[in-house]
Amino acid sequence: MSSRREFLQMGVAALALPISAHAALSPASSILDREPAATPLYKVIFDERFSSSRAFAEEAERLGFSIHGIKGDMTDVWYHDLYARWKEGPVAIAGLTAHGPIFCLERLAWDQRMRVVFRADHRYRADGSIEHALSGPSGMLRQAAALGDEINWSSEMASLVTRCPAMRSQTSQSNVIGPTVKHADDPEHLISWVIAPIHRA
Amino acid sequence: MKVPPGVSPADFSEALKQFEDVVGKEWVFTADDDVDLYRDSYSPLWSEEEEPIPAAAVAPDGVEQVQRIVRIADKYKIPLWTISTGKNLGYGGSAPLLGGSVVLDLKRMNRVVEVNDKNHYALLEPGVSYFDLYRYIQDHKLKVWIDPPDPGWGSPVGNSLERGGGYTPMHDHFDAVCGMEVVLPNGEVMRTGMGALPGSETWQQYKYGFGPYVHGIFSQSSLGVVTKMGIWLFPEPEAYVSGTVMVWKRDDLIPLVNVFAELVSSGTFRGTVVLASPLWFGPPDAELDPLRISGSVKDLEEYGARKQIPFWSLPLYFYGPTKVVAAQWEHIKEKFSSISGVAFQEGPSYRFPLSADELAKIRDTVPLGVPSLQIFSLLPPRSQGHIGFSPIIPMSGEALIEALTVFEGVHRELGAGRAVLTILSSFPRAFVIIDLFPVERDVEKNRKMREIYRRLVKEAAAHGWGEYRTHTTFMGDISNTYSFNHHALRRFHETIKDAVDPNGILSPGKCGIWPKRMRKAEA
Repeated sequence: MSSRREFLQMGVAALALPISAHAALSPASSILDREPAATPLYKVIFDERFSSSRAFAEEAERLGFSIHGIKGDMTDVWYHDLYARWKEGPVAIAGLTAHGPIFCLERLAWDQRMRVVFRADHRYRADGSIEHALSGPSGMLRQAAALGDEINWSSEMASLVTRCPAMRSQTSQSNVIGPTVKHADDPEHLISWVIAPIHRA
Repeated sequence: MKVPPGVSPADFSEALKQFEDVVGKEWVFTADDDVDLYRDSYSPLWSEEEEPIPAAAVAPDGVEQVQRIVRIADKYKIPLWTISTGKNLGYGGSAPLLGGSVVLDLKRMNRVVEVNDKNHYALLEPGVSYFDLYRYIQDHKLKVWIDPPDPGWGSPVGNSLERGGGYTPMHDHFDAVCGMEVVLPNGEVMRTGMGALPGSETWQQYKYGFGPYVHGIFSQSSLGVVTKMGIWLFPEPEAYVSGTVMVWKRDDLIPLVNVFAELVSSGTFRGTVVLASPLWFGPPDAELDPLRISGSVKDLEEYGARKQIPFWSLPLYFYGPTKVVAAQWEHIKEKFSSISGVAFQEGPSYRFPLSADELAKIRDTVPLGVPSLQIFSLLPPRSQGHIGFSPIIPMSGEALIEALTVFEGVHRELGAGRAVLTILSSFPRAFVIIDLFPVERDVEKNRKMREIYRRLVKEAAAHGWGEYRTHTTFMGDISNTYSFNHHALRRFHETIKDAVDPNGILSPGKCGIWPKRMRKAEA
């Protein structure tokens, strides 16, 4: 029989919401000559249910970062890990998740004087390609132009977010459309993100 | 920089400087990217001219700082909008009702002053979240439960003041309030109930104190800033059992609710249930949906009988001594057995305390007093948020059927899509129906949603059903429906507001109550 949670879920699941399409911008083509110092990442969070997210985590781990898997719900990683760590002081995290976890983590991070400093919305398209709508430091966005040729975009994203500069330039937006093969267990929309302490002059 | 309405830029600058003197420069927020965080993510006015954007925010860390801020605001007539943790999504979040207000953000006031597991209460500051309180109880190995709402990142103080609800026997949160400390608009601190007695030993144990009982005027209110609050907790139970009662005809709802009402009023059942109609308002189903739209009640009942889908299901759960909860479930089955064809399904049962491993295996921990943010992982992928239309409906089957029919009819008439209506027993003696509406980043769609919402408010009021709580956008609409004797209640509220807050600095417009100096413009 339907549980309390299933009926609550049904209520919210009825809210199928279209989102306005992002205008495609031409990606910049140059790569930074010199990489600025990267934001130290305390943890990289991924969703164990999604192939792209797992590939993202594998690459992050290969690069030497500590990873933490969730299954849709971020309560556990926040309550048992970030809650205490952020009480000591703000530390940056990154991830590739669905909307729910980043929505919550972003708001919890605001209270610790942190912000989402990089975000990429990845949306699979009907023609078999994938659109990456990016917002973040312009240097990162220039590097993200490589996604236009990259079929393993989630591994590339791991490489990108783990190099998010500690001193960030003006935030920019761009869209990149690239080739991909959609994994059956991937949702239509995933989000790569970096949450980091704000720096004020 | 945005300036509060009716305040000169020079006065506002001076007030901000004085706020900085009180809390420190780092806790006064005026930069756009800081102030933007106080926008309501679920605003149905997102990016419209009417979206109420605050002018600034100030975050004190104690009652004395709150007093000084309130006095400065009073001097310069600066509207303050008080928030606790600001996670009240669906009801306005951390955004004010009046654009240009200064958000009085109490998140730094996050001290758990006391938790008593012998008399089962807590004394809290407003910035304490349900997670904070749960952690405190776990860390101190106290034998009490909290009653988190869904989601649990909000504040017990804020949620109780807004008359929110949870799921355990302490589900009616304002009913569990015992004692407040309030900073009044003139900056004075007042304690209510037994707290008015210096050195009182029973502030959190006896609500009423002596003389007129004033707790209520600080709930859904703009009359003071609550800086401490007592809430009653639930002693950790020995056991939990659950089960579901299922009936097969639409009109079985009438005896089902009659029995349920008796169980609630007698105290045999205490908690919030989701009374559901899997047939009428269940998940989308290609075969069933056409019947829902154009079939008769009989068609639905026949389909349900064929597919073994009950017309109504009533999940019930009990907390307490093992023998008692087992007896309660047996008693429940006996009481409902008078309904022809009724069926019962046993649900999960637990013995407490649960180990971490046992808890990790439970999908929905909220009814077990464990806060969660899981609900956000259940939202549809493109969700930008939602708000709820939530009228209070009599606890009778006849009233429920009528209300569901009326609200579904409005959805159809205005092209609002199929209604998914949820019935909750969040409060004793009445139901609340929740009708969720999406909010989007699309001005036209939000305008249409607001039109449907307002129509539902009017239809409900015409039938004698009023909302228990609403998003700031609709507070004026709801207030307008509580109009007995030429708005005698609102005029009374305004009389109190003018007496207590003559400069109208606290949360102007909240629940339709405007201070005198702004009233004409809003009339």
